[in-house]
Amino acid sequence: MTPGDLSAPADRFTLPQPGAPTPVRFPPITRSTLENGVRIWSMPHTAIPVVSVALVVDAGAAQDPATRHGLASLTAHLSEEGAGGQDAIQLAETLARLGTHLDVDAGPDVTTVSFTSLRRFFEPALRVLADVVTRPHFHEPDLVRVRELRLNRLRQLSRSPATPADRAYLASVFGAHPYGHGVLGTTKSVGAITLDEVRAFHRSAWRPNAATLIVAGEIEHDLVVQTARALLGGWTRPRGSNPENQNSTPEVVSAPAVPLPAGRAHEILLVERPGAPQSELRIGHTGPSRRTPAYHALVTLNNVLGGDFSSRINRNLREAKGLTYGARTAFDLRRAGGSFVVQTSVQTAGTAAAITEILRECEAIRQDGAIQADELERAKSSLTRGYVRNFEAADDLVRGATQLVAYDLDDTTFDRFVPFVEAVTGAAVVDAARTYIRPESFTIVVVGDPDQCRPQLDTLGRTVAVTRPEF
Amino acid sequence: MHFEKSTLPNGLDVIVHEDHRVPLVAVNVWYHVGSKNETVGRTGLAHLFEHLMFEGGQHQPRGYFEPLQEAGASLNGSTSADRTNYWEVGPASTARLALWMEADRMGWLLPALTPARFETQRDVVLNERRQNYENRPYGLAQFALAEALYPPGHPYRWPTIGSAEDLRATTVDEVRAFFSRFYHPGNASLAIAGDIEAATAFDLASELFGQIPAGPPIRPVSAPDVPATGRRIMLTDRIELPRLYLIWPSPALFASGDAELDLAADLLANGRTARLYRRLVHEQRVATELAAAQSSRELGGMFQILATAAPGHSLQELEHLIAAALVELGANGPTPGELERSRVQAEAAFVYRQRTLGGFGGRADQLNAYNIYRGTPDAFAADLQRYLDVTAVSLRDAVSAWIDPSRALALSVVPAGQEPEALAGSEMVRPS
Repeated sequence: MTPGDLSAPADRFTLPQPGAPTPVRFPPITRSTLENGVRIWSMPHTAIPVVSVALVVDAGAAQDPATRHGLASLTAHLSEEGAGGQDAIQLAETLARLGTHLDVDAGPDVTTVSFTSLRRFFEPALRVLADVVTRPHFHEPDLVRVRELRLNRLRQLSRSPATPADRAYLASVFGAHPYGHGVLGTTKSVGAITLDEVRAFHRSAWRPNAATLIVAGEIEHDLVVQTARALLGGWTRPRGSNPENQNSTPEVVSAPAVPLPAGRAHEILLVERPGAPQSELRIGHTGPSRRTPAYHALVTLNNVLGGDFSSRINRNLREAKGLTYGARTAFDLRRAGGSFVVQTSVQTAGTAAAITEILRECEAIRQDGAIQADELERAKSSLTRGYVRNFEAADDLVRGATQLVAYDLDDTTFDRFVPFVEAVTGAAVVDAARTYIRPESFTIVVVGDPDQCRPQLDTLGRTVAVTRPEF
Repeated sequence: MHFEKSTLPNGLDVIVHEDHRVPLVAVNVWYHVGSKNETVGRTGLAHLFEHLMFEGGQHQPRGYFEPLQEAGASLNGSTSADRTNYWEVGPASTARLALWMEADRMGWLLPALTPARFETQRDVVLNERRQNYENRPYGLAQFALAEALYPPGHPYRWPTIGSAEDLRATTVDEVRAFFSRFYHPGNASLAIAGDIEAATAFDLASELFGQIPAGPPIRPVSAPDVPATGRRIMLTDRIELPRLYLIWPSPALFASGDAELDLAADLLANGRTARLYRRLVHEQRVATELAAAQSSRELGGMFQILATAAPGHSLQELEHLIAAALVELGANGPTPGELERSRVQAEAAFVYRQRTLGGFGGRADQLNAYNIYRGTPDAFAADLQRYLDVTAVSLRDAVSAWIDPSRALALSVVPAGQEPEALAGSEMVRPS
């Protein structure tokens, strides 16, 4: 008998219905501030005997000087190449013997230094983190070595399809704005970075009163504060700074606000990748900041249009047409603004067809009555019912709290997500689409085979300009 | 990790891990079928099924993503040479829905499998192949290595994603026959974890899966011996820097020497304190990327070291330095400090592995992995113990027995037009 011949039990014909959304209660954050201004946030989490820890500093790539792109990131990585009297190998060995390692991540707005360790190693692992953050050596031979690794990494990335697409896209939509360059910098900018510049950047951006230590795990707040005071309490603003400002929280160093898209963009930017079997696409323009009042409408809009597997654009390009392994949209919302982007990789012969479909979907969602009630309900249901999945592990909580710090959001941010999304109407989604998705202003980036793409792109009614993103 | 297991009359193993600390439920199904169960000329079927399994079953032909995502679940699946897995994680209220959906595709997939669906998903898979392998720097290296290491007919010789030619030649009838052979309760394991009473979970499993008939017994796959070759091959690619891959056949999953070589890979290449990383990348700066892994599977393992040359340095230089480090490790074993470090890392890794209920590598997935590979979900302690039992002597002996530098299969991947950058005497290959 083949399984298809079975007579199925009656209940097989009725799809079980989803239950009510699970309310999300982000754990209460207990806060203290050390005498030097370091903020300490802790959250209880008791599932397994580990602690997750992140130190967040206001030192993002948006603060890179114009001719020194990559400085924030190089500074962050150089900090773990020697600190507190231990060289790079000794630091790594100390952490390895605690069964952990540090993750250093320099993003556009903030840098985080984080680890997850067994609960019993909290103090010794935090000691290493504190050394790296407050007592980095910044020695010349380490700079030479790390810079060389960075230059080689840039060379490697220049040959992938995705990174050139991202770089061409960022440079086009943000232009000279601090978000317009890659966090890793370029061969030219990184090659020029000196040790004095690293030290100066660290001095100005990595300050105790612009730092937050976030801890989640089975650990009392008082113990976190006591340990943090012992290890981070001696971190002072270096010589030359104004001691009167020592204890006050400084104004957040922020990039200028990103302007929303205006006017028409006519060019398609083609990055030539001879022989490529697929074309890597980035289509979009600037967007609002994470603090936008339209946030919940945008999240819902994104879910309908392209944020999920069953969203319109993936259903169309992948499931109906078989042109791609996947297509996604995202609102990348940062502190000073952000962007909307459609990203996918499509088979070369379908490059123009895919672009046409993407533009059509982006236009369609801006029309009156573009969203039927059942589609809206499905999107909202997916967002509200699924939200609780984001807060399972200790490091999930740390990641959530990091967003509160990075974007200056209040403590009700996560708890109000479900009711706020439930209140989003179809009209609000279409309004958001009209304001924040403007196909006539889209930058279209194609990384693909020039001989096969060119004739296709020429049919789209836009001029095609060949570009080479800087690496 | 606590759990209960029972087996339905149709042969389906059901494992329940109750944990009420987070309001989530994870459902996870393993089918003991992978690309090793395919035949020459029809490769890629197990992975193609991973796609077809999300398209819909007889009683809800809308597909899997829409109803499950609407209920707040996330879901995915993956395919390896040995097995295929599928999972859902969602709020506790999704338990019945997720189990219902898994049961529908285990028992009632074929009536919903139309030629149009099959053709679209084949095109999607061909695009997945382009995106993840053909258009990715060094993306064809693993194909070339498997083809050179494994003798013809060996089930690990072809890539899990299959050959494009085979995928285009496969018919819907062949796909149906493959499903009937391998996708049934006796060849599957179901794990349910999280915020659900064990009795409820077992009742649901029995209600929803109980009527699916047992399938035909499956003969174990046999494989010819894999000799270490000492062969040298090369590929050209759209890349900047030449890279060297060194490969040896190695012990199978859980076989004697597997844990030893896993730790050997760590102490050679994982982290800045690892011997090769420290020497080649940190001190001498002749390599810019370095990795090592003992990839162990059911029919045998593969020990792999890869190193990318820094500009101005040759693959030959890297090969000499790696060989010297291997000879040294095979002769003297690890230091007490290295062994102690490995022990702490292994213990910590086993704790970190409990961080999530579901998804890839979550607790439900691990229970199924042990159940499929070891015959019991209750293998955490034994698995950790084999790492704690590694001694300096056993690690040294495993390295000297398996990892002979003079018998490595060496693959040089070099930028097109720079063929002389390959190791001397390398034969050019074109993976199919």
